[in-house]
Amino acid sequence: MVETTLIKRILIANRGEIAIRVIQACRELGIHSVALYSDVDRASLHVRQADEAYLIGGARPLESYLVIDRVLEIAKKAGVDAVHPGYGFLAERADFAQACLDEGLIFIGPRPHSIGLMGDKLAARELMRKAGVPVIPGTPPGLTNDEMIAAAVTEVGFPLMVKAAAGGGGKGIRIVASPEDLPAALASARREAEAAFGDGTVYLEKLIENARHIEFQILADAYGTTIHLGERECSIQRRHQKLLEESPSVAVDDELRERMGAIAVRAAQAADYLNAGTIEFLVDRDKNFYFLEMNTRIQVEHPVTEAVTGLDLVKEQIRIARGRRMGPTQESINMKGWALECRINAEDPYNNFLPSVGKVTALIMPTGPGVRVDSGVYDGYEVTPYYDSLLAKLICWGETRGEAILRMRRALSEYRIMGVHTNIPFHQRLLNSHRFMAGSINTSFVEERFEIEKEDDDEQAEIAAILATLVAHRDRQQAAQIVQRNARDVSNWTWVGRWERMQR
Amino acid sequence: MRYVATIDQRTYAIDILPDGKLLVDGEERDAGFLSLDDKSLYSLLVDHISYEGLVEEIDGQYNVLLWGALYTVKVMDERELRLAKASAAFVPAGGELSIRAPMPGLIVDVPVTPGQEVRAGQTLVILESMKMQNELKIPRDGRVHQIHVKPGDSVEHNKILITIT
Repeated sequence: MVETTLIKRILIANRGEIAIRVIQACRELGIHSVALYSDVDRASLHVRQADEAYLIGGARPLESYLVIDRVLEIAKKAGVDAVHPGYGFLAERADFAQACLDEGLIFIGPRPHSIGLMGDKLAARELMRKAGVPVIPGTPPGLTNDEMIAAAVTEVGFPLMVKAAAGGGGKGIRIVASPEDLPAALASARREAEAAFGDGTVYLEKLIENARHIEFQILADAYGTTIHLGERECSIQRRHQKLLEESPSVAVDDELRERMGAIAVRAAQAADYLNAGTIEFLVDRDKNFYFLEMNTRIQVEHPVTEAVTGLDLVKEQIRIARGRRMGPTQESINMKGWALECRINAEDPYNNFLPSVGKVTALIMPTGPGVRVDSGVYDGYEVTPYYDSLLAKLICWGETRGEAILRMRRALSEYRIMGVHTNIPFHQRLLNSHRFMAGSINTSFVEERFEIEKEDDDEQAEIAAILATLVAHRDRQQAAQIVQRNARDVSNWTWVGRWERMQR
Repeated sequence: MRYVATIDQRTYAIDILPDGKLLVDGEERDAGFLSLDDKSLYSLLVDHISYEGLVEEIDGQYNVLLWGALYTVKVMDERELRLAKASAAFVPAGGELSIRAPMPGLIVDVPVTPGQEVRAGQTLVILESMKMQNELKIPRDGRVHQIHVKPGDSVEHNKILITIT
């Protein structure tokens, strides 16, 4: 017998656009939202939009959003029933989920032991293998160098990857093309893993070349119902960071979706999974697929699934956490049309994607049919160096992939943001590339087959020159006017003003 | 009033005539220009073609955002152009170059040593910010003159990290 409870107040243990996304769901459900903020986040949008907000600590995540005791203290003080962790920060920390339960709070996410199981990449791999989920050929962890080298040659094969057992965020990963490079790669991956995670354990995995990254959205409720909501293709990545996601995938037909979906559901069930989660697969050119990992949280790219299924995943999360049955059934899931998501990051695509900080001095966001923006910033907001560079997500839906791409191009051209550099030009160029349009992509596409350079659009550059000159002219006339107070009547500045009016 | 606008290497000679018409590289253009928010948003009609752009002045240059593309435009009037031409003769070809922190962050590594010859594109400093390790590269060939930071240092925006001669 599952107990259903009422949730009246939710603490959102996060910041930025995902905190706002959860606030929106709360507001629709009539739930009071409670936000946290660090010293530098007092003016952040999530604080402005939440019903209540509490200071958690210093700017650095280790002094604020990652301090479990502080989060729980505030949860108690604010008298909340439940905690939503968002993604990142404490979202995939089994100890945090357990601590919430110990305090009598509902954790809006999976059971703590599922998070723990899937967080240990090797334990997850082993569990999946036993459950009949295909995994990438590889070695167990903790082998000595000599054993690893022997296994690499006989069992795994080259090229292969050295991976950290405690991995994440692309750290501790080395690609090795031939046996003689293996000892050095093992040593450096161990060093990096030790520094990043405090655990230098590594293992070997076959490198699946030209693979696509395709993941399945899972929902599981407390009544034992587990369903999948179709796939998302996330092959457009740079340094293991996703940049553009879409649903469905051009590489997945109905037959493959059914097969992969059934395996994804089996994988989630093997992990005793509850709530929303994602099973990531690598898919090779022959449509063989391999379990990569499970993300035990709501994903950044969840809106593309929402766009094609019509579901509200955050509201489903809350509903499941309350102990109710999920809204949809597997049969009711009907993917309609196509959706793309561009991550709008504060980084300079022309300068090695260097992060950009500073004040947003102008912001006009695209609107219109099929366009959704999940944004964490506003005009006047100061982008700080303490958190990740995601400013907003732009999601476009169309009847077909072609329409979704055209909509996205329009929306990107309407997205106007000044004060910080953004990767919008990267997305524009990507959406214009023939390979992307043909759907011929894999995880190395951006790094190996894509060049971003300034395009030479002479006509548009000339317009930019004219506009800048007119603004410069006006500024100078205005400055001259202040100096020459006595130059009355037909001053240069009024001339500009009159000229502006005349030209209307 | 005559101006010269420069985008990258390309220059545009733009005359603003008393009647409000423009001459762009000698060609007459009809331009209507309107500030929409008294801040940075402008509407521009050039020969009846409608453009909307954001324009901001930063350190004497104008950043113009048009249809998602960002242009940095240097605008000089005739007097400034003459001054620039005159002073250009006195600047030595190489000169000292300061590599500054483009954002606040933590120095992770400085993979060069004083006196070392470096080539354009070589990494001088690895700076961690926004959870990413960022490689700061040298834009031209040179020699490392002074290193002002070491791994573990926290740096403010614009701090000089390395000087190159």
